[in-house]
Order: sequence, then structure tokens, then C-alpha cells
Amino acid sequence: MPELPLWLVWVIKAAVIYGALLSVAGLMSLAERKVSAWMQYRIGPNRVGPFGLLQPLADGVKFMFKEELVPAGANPFLFRIAPALAALPAMLAVAVIPFAGEIELFGQRTTLSVTDLPISSLYVLAVGGLGIYGIILGGWSSNSKYSLLGSLRASAQMVSYELSLILSILAVVALSGSLDLRVIADAQQADAALWNIARAPLAFLLFVVCMFAETNRHPFDFAESEPELVGGFHTEYSAMRFALFFLGEYCAMTVMSCLATVLFLAGGAIPFWPDAPWWAELASFLVKMSAFLFLYLWVRWTLPRFRFDQLMRLGWKVLLPLALFNLFATAALMAAGVL
Amino acid sequence: MVIVKRRELTLAERLYLPEIGRALALSLRAMFRKRVTRQYPEEPLPTNEVTRGQPRLVVKDDGNIACVSCGMCEVACPAYAITIDGGETDRAIEREPKRFDIDMLRCILCGFCEEACPKDAIYMSDELELADFSRQALVYDIEKLKRPRSALQKRIDYVNKLNDRWRKPSSTR
Repeated sequence: MPELPLWLVWVIKAAVIYGALLSVAGLMSLAERKVSAWMQYRIGPNRVGPFGLLQPLADGVKFMFKEELVPAGANPFLFRIAPALAALPAMLAVAVIPFAGEIELFGQRTTLSVTDLPISSLYVLAVGGLGIYGIILGGWSSNSKYSLLGSLRASAQMVSYELSLILSILAVVALSGSLDLRVIADAQQADAALWNIARAPLAFLLFVVCMFAETNRHPFDFAESEPELVGGFHTEYSAMRFALFFLGEYCAMTVMSCLATVLFLAGGAIPFWPDAPWWAELASFLVKMSAFLFLYLWVRWTLPRFRFDQLMRLGWKVLLPLALFNLFATAALMAAGVL
Repeated sequence: MVIVKRRELTLAERLYLPEIGRALALSLRAMFRKRVTRQYPEEPLPTNEVTRGQPRLVVKDDGNIACVSCGMCEVACPAYAITIDGGETDRAIEREPKRFDIDMLRCILCGFCEEACPKDAIYMSDELELADFSRQALVYDIEKLKRPRSALQKRIDYVNKLNDRWRKPSSTR
């Protein structure tokens, strides 16, 4: 096999990983409809392609050809740029997810992630925090009360839950002694008892709850909240820009699932198979990630939405103290040499 | 006035998680239940002789329809869907329709024409599907309305059995 320059290998990795992310996001739109159908004794989309597998493609084509409306009184520039801003952060965050260990690619040894940052967990949180801009700008520039209310709620919610999310990740960081996601994943590699889900179960629980709130998913989807806000921040959007918001949401869900896999389920590690080849690690990573993605859908089609004051109370009065307690307890247990 | 006493939530309920777990178990079980979806065009609704579909003209075994263009169905039709122009014929019945149109977009499938017909010429079939690209194409003429007797036999027998219930015993066939 010819040896390719290192930069080209990076370009190939980036293209493959982003292609995979977008495909997963597309498939999630189908999975959402399929899972909702199954839970309601229905069959779901099955006309386009086998098992409806080409449905996302058909939807994409439909969105491309739909008319795009900009409401009167909207700020056209912000209105047009907001969906991209909403979709971008999730796509950026996937860059540091360590899918598997080292592989040999066109004569270069390289890790299976777009890049490896020593502070990758910080990077994910920093980029993820930008996601709120797309939503709040989209809601504000639409010149519609529903959109504005939806985006205000979304921002209040994301700010409140981000705190608990970060604190729960901090406990994991303390356990592994590193901000590098790859190091965090590798530290759990040796034994299933070392997986952070076993060592920090409360952090895992907090992370999972906050993960739903961070991505504006049920039961915390106040940004959309159809009964009272029509469609929330994307009420006024149409065509591909509307789809971009959803693409962003599904990408964010995928990235959050990847993050949960890395932080708590040891990334691609397989119990009782310590030196698994990279493809087995990748497969195990994808299985774990899919489990989280399914959890997203499962919860969405099971639980009703919270009331907004309940959501705020839960965030500030329950989750935040719990997260602080968890961090303190982890630190204390580590100091005592138990963990 | 009714005073609704709200039950105090137990600790497990206020913790959300056990109840969420129960709900998740419920929806997971639902995923494996029997599907209720009918794959419609491939799996049509079952029909039988009681199905009151679109009206059709019965073609008798000699190849003609029994209609004598008396206009009873035209009068009975509450939706004014039927239009008949009568004319003469050399056959023994002397009169036959030159034009017999049913506007299927007007037809409400009530079956009054079937009841009104003194000649047993028109019966409700089990055909229910109605789609085309123009309104004009859904105004059915004689040729489109004709159906062989065999296709309608079950309905004919059923209607006659019903009618027997109030026919005088002497006139029962």
C-alpha cells in the first residue's frame, strides 16, 4: 500500500468520521420514527427502501426542494445563519471523540479520532456550550413570540443543566486524573470494575439526566414544547434550514452518546478481551453509543414533558447539589484511598 | 362542589426514577406487542356482502342490463348523483337508458338506488376505492358501471333475503 503524507491521512480520517456522524444523524431521524412506531404498536416508515432505510435520503431531498420563507420583520442575516450555528458545535465536538485505539492507515500509524487534544473533555464542553447561540439567535431573529419564548426557555435550561453536567464530568476527570478523553477511556480499559459507571454511578446518573437537558430532548424539550409554543425556536423555519436544526439536534445527541460511552463505559473497551483489535473496539464503541441513542428515543416516547418550573427546580435544587455532593464524595473517597 | 383529594406522592414517586423505570419497562414491552397497522394497498380492508360500496349495474346472463330507465333511482338519489336519459329499444323491455351516469364524487353510497330499483338492475358492490386525476373521469357511464352478475351475486342474494322479511309471504320468490 502506498504511503500517504500525514496531512492526507488526517483529511481522510476527518472525512470518514464526519460522514459517519452525518449518516448516524440521518439514520436517527428514521430511528426516531421507527422506535416511536414500535412503541405505539405501529410499523413506521417502510416504503422508501428496505425497512424504510432510504427515508432520511428522501426527507433530505424533500427539504432541499421546499420553499424557504423568511418571516416579515425577521433579521435576515441572523435568521439565515442561526441553523448553521445550531448544527455546527455538535459537529465540531465529535473531532476529539476517541473511537478506537491506534490503527495503521496508508502506512501511517494514527489514532481513530480526528484529533487528540490533551484537554479534549474541556474542548467538548466549550464547543457544546456554543450550541445555545444558534437556538437563541434563531428564536430571536424570527420576530415571533413563540420562537423567542422557546429560545429563552432553551437557553435558561441549557445554562442550568450545563453546570451539573460539567460537575458530573469533573468527578470522572478526578478519577482518571486527566482531561484527555483518550486517557479517561484507557484508564478504564483494564477491567469492567474500573469502568466509571461502576466507580461513579451517581455521576453517571447525573450525566444521563443532564445529557437529555443539554440536547433539548424529552422530557426536557422546552425549546420546542409543541402544545404551548407551536414549535418553539424553529416555528418560523422551513425547508433545509429547519432540517439543519434537527440535524444539529441529532448530531448533538450522537456526540453526547459518544461522550457518555467514553466517560463511563470505557470507550471501545470489551470486558475479558483486553487486547482486542481496533475493529472490535470500534464495533463495541458503536454498540455502546447506539445503546445511549436508543435510550434517548426510548425516553422520548415514554415520558411526558416536565413543567417549566419543575424543570428549573430539578436543575437548581436537586441536580446541582447532588453533583456538588458527588464531586465532594468522589474526592473524599479518593483521598481515603477507596477509589 | 366536589373537593378532589389529591393523594400524597410517596417518596419513590417523588424521586421520579423508579416511576420512570416502570414507564420505560412498559414502553419496551409495547415494542414487542402485535402491530395494529394495516398495510393498506397491499392488505385491503375485508369486504363482504354487507359492504355497501359504489353502486354498479348488473349485467344479466344475456349481456344486457335490466334497467328500463324508469328514473326511480334518479329520484331516490339524495345526492343527485344519477343522471338518466331514457330511450326505446327493440328488446322486449321496450325501454333502455341511452345514458346512465353516476357522478361518483357526488355519490354518498347510501344504497337508496339499490332499494328503489324495481328491476333489480342496480346493486351496491364492494368496490370502495375511488381515485383519478380529474373530476370528469369520476363520472361513470354505463360501460364503467357494468359488472357481471357473478361479481355481485352475494350482494344480490343478501339484499333479496333482507327484502323477504317485509314482503308478503305470497309474493316471496
